[in-house]
Amino acid sequence: MKFTKEMVLDYADKLLIGLNEEEVNLVLEEFQIIDETISSVCDIPDLSKVEPMTHALDDFTFVLRSDELEDGKDGYPTEVLLRNAEKVENDEIVVPKVVG
Amino acid sequence: MKYIPKIGLEMHCEISKTKTKLFSRARNTYSMSPNTCVYPVDMAFPGTLPVLNKECVRLSLMASMILHCQIPEYFLFERKNYYYPDLPKGYQITQETKPIPVGIYGYLDYECEGQIKRIRINNIHLEEDAASLDHYYNTSTINYNRAGIPLLELVTEPDFHSANEAVSFLETMRSIYQYSGISEGDTKKGQIRCDVNVSIMDENLEESDPSNWGTKIEIKNVNSFGGVRDAINYEIKRQIHLKETNEYDAMPQQTRRWDEEEAKTKYMRSKVDAVDYKYFVEPNIPKLKIDPKWLEEIKESIPKLPLERKQKYIEEYGLSSYDAEVLIKDKDISDYFEECIALKIDAKDAANWVTVTILGELNKNDEKITDFYLTPSMLKEIIDAKNKNSISSKQAKEIFQKVITEKKEPKQFMQKENTQISDEKELTEIISKIVSQNESQKNAYLNGKTNLFDYFVGQVMKETKGKANPVMTKEILLKELQK
Amino acid sequence: MEEGIVSLHEKLVNKEITSEELVKKSLEKAKEAQEKYNAFVTILPDAKGVNKITSLLSGIPYGVKDNYSTKDVLSTGSSNTLKNYVPFFNATAVENLQKAGAVIIGKTVLDEFGMGGTGTTGHTGVVKNPWDETRMCAGSSSGSAASVACGVYPYALGSDTGDSIRKPAAYCGIVGYKPTYGMISRYGLFPFASSLDTCGVLTRSVEDAAIVVDAMKGLDENDMTSWDSSDIHLYDSLKKQTKAKKICIIPEICDIKRYPHASSELKEHLENFQKTLEICKSLGFTVEEVSIDENLLNALASVYIIISCAEATSNLSNLTGIIFGPRGNGTSTLDFIKDHRTKGFSPLIKRRFVIGSYVLQKENQERYFRNAQRVRRLIVDKMKEIFKEYDAVILPVGTGPAKKLKGPYDILDRNTTILEEHLQIGNFGGFPSITIPNGFIDGLPVGVNITGNCYEDEKVLQIASLLESKMPYKGQIAGRKEK
Repeated sequence: MKFTKEMVLDYADKLLIGLNEEEVNLVLEEFQIIDETISSVCDIPDLSKVEPMTHALDDFTFVLRSDELEDGKDGYPTEVLLRNAEKVENDEIVVPKVVG
Repeated sequence: MKYIPKIGLEMHCEISKTKTKLFSRARNTYSMSPNTCVYPVDMAFPGTLPVLNKECVRLSLMASMILHCQIPEYFLFERKNYYYPDLPKGYQITQETKPIPVGIYGYLDYECEGQIKRIRINNIHLEEDAASLDHYYNTSTINYNRAGIPLLELVTEPDFHSANEAVSFLETMRSIYQYSGISEGDTKKGQIRCDVNVSIMDENLEESDPSNWGTKIEIKNVNSFGGVRDAINYEIKRQIHLKETNEYDAMPQQTRRWDEEEAKTKYMRSKVDAVDYKYFVEPNIPKLKIDPKWLEEIKESIPKLPLERKQKYIEEYGLSSYDAEVLIKDKDISDYFEECIALKIDAKDAANWVTVTILGELNKNDEKITDFYLTPSMLKEIIDAKNKNSISSKQAKEIFQKVITEKKEPKQFMQKENTQISDEKELTEIISKIVSQNESQKNAYLNGKTNLFDYFVGQVMKETKGKANPVMTKEILLKELQK
Repeated sequence: MEEGIVSLHEKLVNKEITSEELVKKSLEKAKEAQEKYNAFVTILPDAKGVNKITSLLSGIPYGVKDNYSTKDVLSTGSSNTLKNYVPFFNATAVENLQKAGAVIIGKTVLDEFGMGGTGTTGHTGVVKNPWDETRMCAGSSSGSAASVACGVYPYALGSDTGDSIRKPAAYCGIVGYKPTYGMISRYGLFPFASSLDTCGVLTRSVEDAAIVVDAMKGLDENDMTSWDSSDIHLYDSLKKQTKAKKICIIPEICDIKRYPHASSELKEHLENFQKTLEICKSLGFTVEEVSIDENLLNALASVYIIISCAEATSNLSNLTGIIFGPRGNGTSTLDFIKDHRTKGFSPLIKRRFVIGSYVLQKENQERYFRNAQRVRRLIVDKMKEIFKEYDAVILPVGTGPAKKLKGPYDILDRNTTILEEHLQIGNFGGFPSITIPNGFIDGLPVGVNITGNCYEDEKVLQIASLLESKMPYKGQIAGRKEK
C-alpha cells in the first residue's frame, strides 16, 4: 500500500497534530527511504522466524512490587498533583464537556 | 422461521481486594475525595514509569486457573493507544491476545435454570482502569482516583443463547470473584462493566460453523446485570424484526450503546470506523517469567467456589437444593453458614436460621451479614438453649430479635423473666405450694380422678405465666402429688 | 571549573576553595555560555554551595539536561508543550546526585524531547558549538555538551536514545558515556523511545564519567528495567591493573576503501582513526577486523527511525495540556489538545509522529515495526557473538567534526552513511558505549567510540581510560587548543 498525502493528513489528525503542506511532503520523502530499506530487509531469509526484540535487554532480573502502601499514604497531596493544571475546580481538573 | 441468538460477553471487573493500584503505590479504593489516591504515574507525569503489583498478577493468575485457561510461560503487557480525556497517558496498558495474556481458551461451568452449562472463555487479561469523568452543563471534570485500578477483562465465546444464560454466567462469575478474594464485584460502585455482542442465526443452519452466526452487534458499556438482560433481549428483538422486514442483510457490523433510560440500544459507529489501537509491547515492563512453583502455590490457595460449596451442602449436609442455592449466593452468607457448621450447630438448623430468619432481617434493613450483630456463636447459644428445652421456639425467636435490636448477648435475655423456669428447686417450691392449696383436688386425684393432673398443670402454668418448663413440671408434679 | 572532579574535590577537602565559590564561578561561566552558545533553558542564580563534603561530588556544580524531571525547577524537554511545567519530584538519577551533595547550576537545552541530532529544535533556539559558533553541537544533549566543553562545570547529565550523548561529545571534544541500559534508573527522564533511552553523562575525562555514573546508578523501585549494579564500581575499576585487551573494528563501517568519493575531511577523520588504532596496539591491545552483513548495517538507520518513532508517538501522547503544559484553544477537549500539540511541537517531531503512527497501524505493523524489531535482534545477536571473542568494538564517531549549522539536516537522507548512524547499535542492544576525543581536523575536535557487552561497563571504561591516557585531549576546554 502506498503512503499518500491523504493518509499522512489522516494520521496527523488522529495524533491530534496539524501539518502544513511542506511538512507533509517531507514525511513522504523520508518515508520513501524507510520503505526502500525495509524492502531490502524483507529479503533476509527466515526473517519472520526471528523473535521481535521489544526490550533493550533479554535478561532483566527484577522483583515484582509488593502490594504495600508507601508509609501508609494514599497518594500524593492533591494540590501538588494539580499545581500544573490550568483549570481546576473542587480538586478536579476541568475540561470542556466531553460527549459520547 | 426461528432464530438462535448467539451472545458473547466481555466482562470487566475491578480487582478491588489489593491495597495498591496495578502500576502505582496509590491506594486502590472506591469513593474518596477526588484526586487523593493518585501517584504521579496515574496522571502520566513525564518520566514516570509503571511498576507491576505482584498481588494483581497473583489474583489474575488465580482467575485464569479458575477459568481453566492456558497460562503463558511469560507475562507481557501491551499499549493500547487512543486519545480520550480520561486516559492520561494517551494509552492504556493492557494485554492483547498476542502474546498470550493471563489466560486463553478456558471454560466455566455455571448453573442456569437448574441446569449446568458450559461457556468457553476466549481469554482473560489484566489491565488498568481509566480516570472517571463527571459531566456538568458545559464542562466535565476529571478525577484520577480510578486511573490505574487493576481490572480483569474476560472475553467469552458467543456461546450463550439467551439473556438468562448470560446473566446467570455473570452472577456466577461475580460470586467467583467474591469467593476467591479478587473483587467485591459491586456493580453499584461500577466495579463490573460489560460489553455484550449479539447476533442471531437461522435455526436450521449449522451452529458449529461461525459463518452462520450472523452479523455481530457489539453493545458497549452496560453497567448492570439487569441492563445486560434488557439490552440482549432488546437487541434480539430488534434483529429479528430486521430479518422479518428483510433489512437484516443490509445491516453493517456495528457498535451500539445501551441507553438505560430509553431502554434501547443506539447506533455508535460501524466496524469500518473502528479505531486502530496500534497495539505494541510495553517496553517499560520487562517480560516476566512465571515461576511454576508460584503457580502451584496459587493453585493451592484457591478457596472452595460456590458450585463446589453448593454440592457439599446438598450431599454432606442434606440441605435442599433451594436452601443451598440461597446460602451460596453471597460468599459472606456462605461463610457465616460454614462458621455455624464449624461451631457444630446442626446443618439444617443453621440453614433454616440463616436462610429464613437472618436473611429476612438483612433484607428488611438492607444490611450486610458482615455488619450483622448476631454472630454464629450467639446463634449457637440460642439454638443450644432451645435444644435443651430451656426455651421454647417462640422464645428463641424473641431472644433473637432482642439480641439484634438491643445489641446485647443472648445470655442476658435468657436469664431474665422471659426464660423458662427450669430450676428444679424453684419449680418444686411453686408446685408444692399449689398442691398444698388444693388439698381436695389432690385427694380426688389420688382416689382415681387422674384427669385432675391436667388441672394441676394448668395451675402451675397460671402461677408461672406459662414459663414453667412443661416437662419438668410434670415430673415434679407427679412426685408432689404422691407426698 | 576547568578542572576534573578529583582535583576540585581535593581543593574542597583542603579548604583551598569553598563550594560557594565554585558555584559562583560556575554560574558566571553558565551566563557566558548562555550568551555565546545558548546552552541553557534555565540557569539557577540561587544555587547554593554545599559545606559538608561527603562524597567526591559534594559541593561541585553540574548541569542537567532539561528532559530530567527536577523538583521545583522548570523542566521543559526543550518543548513548548512543557514550557511552563514545574515538576514536584526529582528524577532518580538527579535525586541520587543530590544525595551525594552535587549542586545543580542549570538545565541544558536539547533537541525537543531528545528527538534529533542537531541541537537546533529546542524551543529556546539553536545551540552553537563552543569550538566554532557557526557549527552545531549535534544532539540531542547539545546544551550539556556545549557547557561541559567550555568549562561551566566538570559534568552535565545527558540522555542517549540513538547517539544523543556520544555524538555531541565527539563534536564538542569531550567524553560522553552511555552505560548499559537500566544501570541508571530512567524514572523522571522524559521518554523518547523507552526501549532505547539511556541516562548518562558528558564529562572531560573517563575518570569523571566513572565517578558520576557510580553516583547516578542503582536499582530503583520506580523503574522495573533498572537492575542492581552494586557490585560494579566504575571509578575503582579504573585504578586496577588490567590484562591485555582484545578489540575489533568493523570494516564495513570504518574502512576508507568503502568510501570512494570521500571528502578530504572524511579521509582525514578515518586516517586519524587509524592512528588511534596504532595507539591501541602500542598499549598491547589486539586489534582485529570483524565483518557484519552489510544488509543489516544498511537497514540500521531505518530500523532506528521505525522503532524510535513508534515508541515516541505513544510516549508523547500524554502531552495534551490537560494536566500540565499550556492549555490550547478550542471548544472541545480534542480540539484544544490538537491546538496544544500543533503549536507545541516542532515540525521534526510532528513528522516523526506520523511515521511512528504509520508503522504501528494494524496493516503495516508486521512489515515495518515488527520487521524492524526483528532486524534489531539480528544486529544485537551479531554484536553479542562479537563480544564473545572481543572485549569491545572500536569505531570512529560520525564522518568528521561538527557540521555547519546552515544547511538541511536531520532529515533522513538517502546518502546517510553508516558512519553517521552506527552508534545506534549501542542502544539496540543496551550496550555500554563511550566516546572520547581522539584528535582534531581543521582545529575542530573529533571522537572515537568504544562499545562493549552489556554489564561490562568496567571493561569499556578501562579501555577508554587507557587510550585516553595516551592521547593529549583529556580535560580539554573548547577553544584552548591552538589551531
